[in-house]
Amino acid sequence: MKIFSKVFNKTRYLFIFIAVVLLSHAPVRAQEQPLTPRQILDKVDDLFRSKSSQALATMTVTTAHWKRSLSLEMWSKGKEKSLFRILAPKKEKGTATLRSDNDIWNYLPKVKRVIKLPSSMMAASWMGSHFTNDDLVKESRMADDYTFEITFSGEMQGQEIVEVTCYPKPDAAVVWGKVLVRALRKEYLPLSIKYYDEELLLARTMTFSQVSQLGGRLLPAMVAMVPEDKPDESTVIHYKKIDFDIDLKDDFFSLRTLQK
Amino acid sequence: MNSLQYGWRNLWRNTRRTCITLAAVCLSTAILMASYGLMDGLMQHAVSNATNLVVGEVQVHAQGYRADHSIYKALNEPDLILRAAKQKNVAAAPRRYGYGLVAVGTKSAGARFWGVEPASERTTFDLAQHLQEGRFLSETTQRGVVLGQKLARSLQAQIGYEIVVVVQAADGSLGNDLYTVTGILKAVGDSIDRNAALIHAADFVELFVSGERIHEVALNSRGMVSTEGLTALLSIAAPEEEIKSWRQLMPEVSDMVNLFDAFIWIFGLIFLLAAGMGVMNTMLMATYERIREFGILKALGATPWGIIRDVAAEALVLAALGTVLGTILGLAGSYYLQEVGLDLSIFAGTYSVGGVAFDPIWRATISPKMVFIPVVLMLIIALVASLYPAALAARLDPVKAIHRP
Repeated sequence: MKIFSKVFNKTRYLFIFIAVVLLSHAPVRAQEQPLTPRQILDKVDDLFRSKSSQALATMTVTTAHWKRSLSLEMWSKGKEKSLFRILAPKKEKGTATLRSDNDIWNYLPKVKRVIKLPSSMMAASWMGSHFTNDDLVKESRMADDYTFEITFSGEMQGQEIVEVTCYPKPDAAVVWGKVLVRALRKEYLPLSIKYYDEELLLARTMTFSQVSQLGGRLLPAMVAMVPEDKPDESTVIHYKKIDFDIDLKDDFFSLRTLQK
Repeated sequence: MNSLQYGWRNLWRNTRRTCITLAAVCLSTAILMASYGLMDGLMQHAVSNATNLVVGEVQVHAQGYRADHSIYKALNEPDLILRAAKQKNVAAAPRRYGYGLVAVGTKSAGARFWGVEPASERTTFDLAQHLQEGRFLSETTQRGVVLGQKLARSLQAQIGYEIVVVVQAADGSLGNDLYTVTGILKAVGDSIDRNAALIHAADFVELFVSGERIHEVALNSRGMVSTEGLTALLSIAAPEEEIKSWRQLMPEVSDMVNLFDAFIWIFGLIFLLAAGMGVMNTMLMATYERIREFGILKALGATPWGIIRDVAAEALVLAALGTVLGTILGLAGSYYLQEVGLDLSIFAGTYSVGGVAFDPIWRATISPKMVFIPVVLMLIIALVASLYPAALAARLDPVKAIHRP
């Protein structure tokens, strides 16, 4: 669907945005031994993952025609279940998205209806942002779908960084032709992930900044996504608060909770 | 006695042969006329179906709109376009477009929303009558939606059903509302069948927060003004916008029309040749029989030109008589084909070629052209066919001709 911006067709990638609400925990700490590329990728994937989590964030979307900020509350459990609810602005307040396994439902408080997202809309943008619905449901790990190697290690712009270049495995269900991950070499915190299309042209760039203590971890609090063909546009997620490993029951992720 | 009278009398010296040739000319003309009528009917059916239903003869969009259908690429001054159309008495319909999601129960699908002004659509196009079920939008409709056939089917929506619509509004917000299905369209063309959701312009503006934006003005004069005339009119009213004729908007229909045209000419040529051979044969035989006569005429001082004129006149009289009878027969047949038509429903129901839906009843159209073209061509062919026998007769040596047994 064009409406929800067709910038990111068929992204099948795991975003930190979702990662917030996904999977197991891995302490982030400076390592003595340099990590293998696989460990680096896993670290990036696991950055925001946990058994369960609850987070508050703002999402600021800037396009050529408008700029708006949404305030969001999110919950997750395991890597299959997540729930997002818009707290502000008023027009969208209460609008919620439930993701359970590969299905996505949206609740629209204005009309008091739940609608299930058709599979044809998976490539469409989520809530007008530069993330797609597909980004929400992707759950596999980079290290499983790609072959990778360290292509740079050393100082860049005054920081010690390591760069891992990933190419998709022939049978992997991914749309990218290449993914380039840059992380700080010391803490292995990600700095940027660049996504290239099948012709190896840069399609979009995700950058991480404002490293701070969130939920007992050292995490980048700001995640920005910029599409390459519209460099003036962006979606920036700013995490205000994250709690990891909280007590959430499976039935929390139900259509009933969605409609609250 | 002039050549025509002379020819007329000569024709009836061999009644049987003349009648057979007459029948050939008459039938050829009639078949030519009827098939021209049928082809023309099909062509006009295709064009008018394609243009009168929803596309119109000419459409205006903002530059670049047709490439990405962005809601932000609206016409600069749609009022000027509408005013220019009104001055020329050409009906025009302004439309707003946006994309979104429609859902009924657990079924959902993507849709292209059309913000239409029901009154303009009604006066400009036939779409308002092209409904399978229910009613078209009215001026007072609120939160009513008319769905494309396949969209309604995939949502399993019926008249009176409530559907949820969710769209990305022009200000970035999430527009959503409940609409009631008031009508379901008949088959129009694949993309409309699959994703069209027609709503009132006022509802569209509210849902999409789209303000004054109008994305398309479709003009339809129903043949009163030529496509070129409309294009010229618009290029004055809206020089900076993109103006496209139906031939450019629907190249597949345009190709089909050109193809039909070629068919008509090929058909016509075959029939004309057959009829022409008949005329030539008759005239050859008639000349051959009257070699002695021509010899005497020449001996009495007839010029070769006079003889050519006489033979050609005879052929012309024959052809004229044949075409008159053929026209009567052809018009009668075409009238039948126009009023009753050929029922193809035993072969197929409503069928669609190149995105244009056709009625299973194939009807002819009667036009002055369909009489004029076959008749004139038939007369020319008869005249040309008579020239060979005429030249033979004109070149006869009178002495040899008279002494021929």
